Amino acid sequence: MVLAHRMAMQSPWVEAEMVEAMEFPELAQRFGVSGVPQTTINYGAGTVVGAVPEDYLVDEIRQALEIRV
Amino acid sequence: MADKLLNEGVARQVQQAFEQLQEPVEVLFFGAKSNCEYCDDTRQLVEEVVSLTDKLSLHVYDLDDDAAIAQEYKIDKAPGMVIAGRAGEQVLDYGVRIAGIPAGHEFTSLIHDLLLVSGRDSGLETSTREFLDTLTQPVHLQVFVTPT
Repeated sequence: MVLAHRMAMQSPWVEAEMVEAMEFPELAQRFGVSGVPQTTINYGAGTVVGAVPEDYLVDEIRQALEIRV
Repeated sequence: MADKLLNEGVARQVQQAFEQLQEPVEVLFFGAKSNCEYCDDTRQLVEEVVSLTDKLSLHVYDLDDDAAIAQEYKIDKAPGMVIAGRAGEQVLDYGVRIAGIPAGHEFTSLIHDLLLVSGRDSGLETSTREFLDTLTQPVHLQVFVTPT
């Protein structure tokens, strides 16, 4: 669950916010949150649903960085 | 005086976990006076947690009254929190944020975050560290969770 926070801890480029979806429904809706945890990368450039291993999230971040929103 | 949110058993468990705390941690809490159903409870919860050990400190801000500070830390939600390191007077912002009340499962996440920042180490696998060390542009992660 704190994988995103671990990444923030590791890199000054990474900022990670854990968001309680029910308290911020507009934001959750904007990013189409249907299941939790859902990780949204760079405001929608990438999306990961579920708790995933480190290398999986790394791959998704790598891909998201190639996409501009 | 409101009742405690943490019962004695939980407080004792958290205190036990806090034996692993290393470096000081500062929680920057941002509340709001209106439209914030969970601000009071979140603030009380964090106050109770922080009071369990000398290694943790809390600074309470208001999203509107302290708008410049909120902007500096890129906080746009209330309740919002920055889990930062502290070295003397210096706040060390690692980019660890929580928006909303950390209740239920997320209470455990809060405790883990405090331990993580206190340890000043990500605990990640070498390959993940190597990838993150190559970053040259911002990565913004938002992890949506629910308390149950």
